[in-house]
Amino acid sequence: MLVTWRYKPRKSLIQSFDPRAWIIFYACFLASTVLFWDFRYQAALFILTMITVLTSGIKFSEMKRAWIFIGGFVIFFSLLTFLTGRGGVELYKEEHLISRLAANFTILGWRPTLTITAEKIMYAVTMLVRVFSLASMTILIPYSLNPAHYGITFRGLGLPDKVAYGMDLTMRFIPSFGRDFMLTRDAQRARGYELEKITGGLFATVRKLAPLIVPVTIHAIVSSEDIIDAMDLRAFGVGPRTWLEQLVYRKRDRLLIAFGIFLIGFSIGLSLLGFGKFWVPQFLLAAAA
Amino acid sequence: MTAISPLIVEGLSFRYRSRELPAIQDINLSIEPAQIVLLAGASGCGKTTLIRCINGLIPRSYKGDVSGRVWLQGQEVKDLSLARISQLVGTVLQDPERQILGSVVMNEVAFGLENLGWERAAIRQAVDETLARLNISHLRDRQTHSLSGGEKQKVALAGVLAMRPNILVLDEPLASLDPASAQEALDLVRTLADEGMTVLMVEHRVEDVLRIQPERVLFMQDGRIRFDGRPEVMQKNVDYHEVKLPAAMILAAARADAPPSEINPLPAAAQDAPLAPLVQFKDVTFGYESGLEVLHGVDLQINRGDVIAVLGPNGAGKTTLIKHAIGLLKPTSGQVLVNGRDTHQLSVAEIASTLGYVFQSPSHMLFAPTVREELAFGPTNLKHSPQVIGEEVSQAVEIVNLVGFEETPPLSMSFGQQKRVSIAAILAMRSRILVMDEPTAGQDYKNYMAFMNSILQLPTFEAILFITHDIDLAVIYANRVWMVNQGQVVADGVPQEVLRDQERLRTNRLVPTSLLQANLDYFPMTQKFYSAEGLAHRIPAGD
Repeated sequence: MLVTWRYKPRKSLIQSFDPRAWIIFYACFLASTVLFWDFRYQAALFILTMITVLTSGIKFSEMKRAWIFIGGFVIFFSLLTFLTGRGGVELYKEEHLISRLAANFTILGWRPTLTITAEKIMYAVTMLVRVFSLASMTILIPYSLNPAHYGITFRGLGLPDKVAYGMDLTMRFIPSFGRDFMLTRDAQRARGYELEKITGGLFATVRKLAPLIVPVTIHAIVSSEDIIDAMDLRAFGVGPRTWLEQLVYRKRDRLLIAFGIFLIGFSIGLSLLGFGKFWVPQFLLAAAA
Repeated sequence: MTAISPLIVEGLSFRYRSRELPAIQDINLSIEPAQIVLLAGASGCGKTTLIRCINGLIPRSYKGDVSGRVWLQGQEVKDLSLARISQLVGTVLQDPERQILGSVVMNEVAFGLENLGWERAAIRQAVDETLARLNISHLRDRQTHSLSGGEKQKVALAGVLAMRPNILVLDEPLASLDPASAQEALDLVRTLADEGMTVLMVEHRVEDVLRIQPERVLFMQDGRIRFDGRPEVMQKNVDYHEVKLPAAMILAAARADAPPSEINPLPAAAQDAPLAPLVQFKDVTFGYESGLEVLHGVDLQINRGDVIAVLGPNGAGKTTLIKHAIGLLKPTSGQVLVNGRDTHQLSVAEIASTLGYVFQSPSHMLFAPTVREELAFGPTNLKHSPQVIGEEVSQAVEIVNLVGFEETPPLSMSFGQQKRVSIAAILAMRSRILVMDEPTAGQDYKNYMAFMNSILQLPTFEAILFITHDIDLAVIYANRVWMVNQGQVVADGVPQEVLRDQERLRTNRLVPTSLLQANLDYFPMTQKFYSAEGLAHRIPAGD
């Protein structure tokens, strides 16, 4: 059966809004964030994110795993981009060299060299802040949105009944998939299977992952067939549906939506006027000179 | 045809598109209102197919060749919309986990009425009335995935009853329930029937259902109805090897048959050997990340020669306890020793060669293209030689009665067969200790009795432990019973001691069975617990 995310009612800023209003604001926030490459703009949006996170009432211990996973992922890729020098080249045309570190060995005649430029540093830092803002705002949603309201939230945003209920099931499918994965991993470990010891090329690795991938996939398919049967047996989709839960916009929700729309409008305006492009602070350029 | 009958089936046959043989053949049935009709039979006899024809899933969701007709309240099923059928027939599936859709109890119970487009106020009223009727109003705002097995079953039933069907169809509703929850569910069904609802209940735990005095019993075999009549006369017509009858009926019938062969459990443990415990729990405490403590200071030992039945209510901590023995969970404080070594220092794979663990659900482990490869997976991981693996696989296949299925893909098999494959997969590893989590759930009586008999007598195991809700399994097979409740082992001893105390059974949500009672009655004479067939040949004929 489908399990839900670790939601609980909390006295927090995010939960004080209608979920539809929050989703609209969230979408505006995401769109604004991806418009800018200027670190100063990203810093302002990051402050907004941190206010939301710190007032969310979710303890760090509750979100620890999600943070470690996403944090590790973001930092790894920012570092990788920084080290390889790939990415961001479309944002700047010239680079100001700060330092060049060459390895004292060669691999097949190639000497690994790390070129540190003012642009690369700022690109990595801006990227880090930007992705962290997006990820943080996203992590909060499953912890703060009442699972009983998933369906009506999407319905309230204008999706048809069937699609809204489908979104409700999809939201709950993700944690259920995680639980099934853990159960399968445990069942196979009890048969002497050691995930840690898998070696070999790509195909060999995928083949050796079959004991995990196959049961989890089949289980997901069988569960969805069960869900369809259970829905059919209780007359789902035979006509317009009543949604038992009701959501009502209050003044604060309208204000939040207005703020979201203002934010995206303002961001688009700035962007069209040429503001918010990639920015390198003067002191880094000075260091390069 | 009489229009007043809530359910009439005439000459019904059905063959699934993917199968060669029909699943049911020439079924004729007419059910009176306000009756409980018990439909019994081994797995694969066509019970579930018949239900699907009644609730409209055949032919809407399952395609194949249908002939014959089904009428509900005088209206032919094929002419009705699914919405209309769902108001006439409410179906509760075997596993409530497969039926519950809502994330919160309130939404789950309201789901059908929402789909029918009722007014909100009317839905709320119907939900509250239904919850009150089932005595579960307190669950209204709970998240469904946090409910216990018994609570889930009641919530699934509430979701169906809220739509006010005339006929209630229950497909093995007791499978995942502890005995006390099962009894509560059955009492509820009796009340519903007394209030005017027609109930068709599929169940092979016949003894349990007979307690609520069904008006009629149907017995199916090979897709056909073989017996249709009053429960009192079923003894002569129903094979006591196929469904679980009350002990008194088996005692009467089995005397005429040859006595069953004596079970000689764990031959390997009978040899001289060191007396060190195989597994030892020392003051084990365990809590999940959420801070909830599940086990509190458990001290236990598994010794050579032990056949342990672990009994206790849903959510008592039985599975958590056993997962410590294989190292899938490590104690928060205290120690678990396997072969004298702390599980903190061992990987699960290392422990697996000593202790084989059969998980509750087979669908979480089956992956290989054939049964043979599935069974070879464990021994291969344990680095057994190919020749030995061949022997291990053949023997395991034989024990679970799947000879001839070696090249079949496990994923294409029925649930009962998959469960047996999952047991065989662990048997093939030839570990010293076998641990099974609800080995009989979803299995029919005949099959599970056969494989329990074989497993107990395997020459390889030194100890066997199984978690179960079935007291009779403890009576017949165990030489030791652990009773677990609220994260503690509240009783540990021989079955005749632990199971004698009625008050203890009641507080641990167990209900004495007729077999337990018969064994306790004759214990001064037998000095041992037996199956009903075994007991029949050990007590005087006049008794």
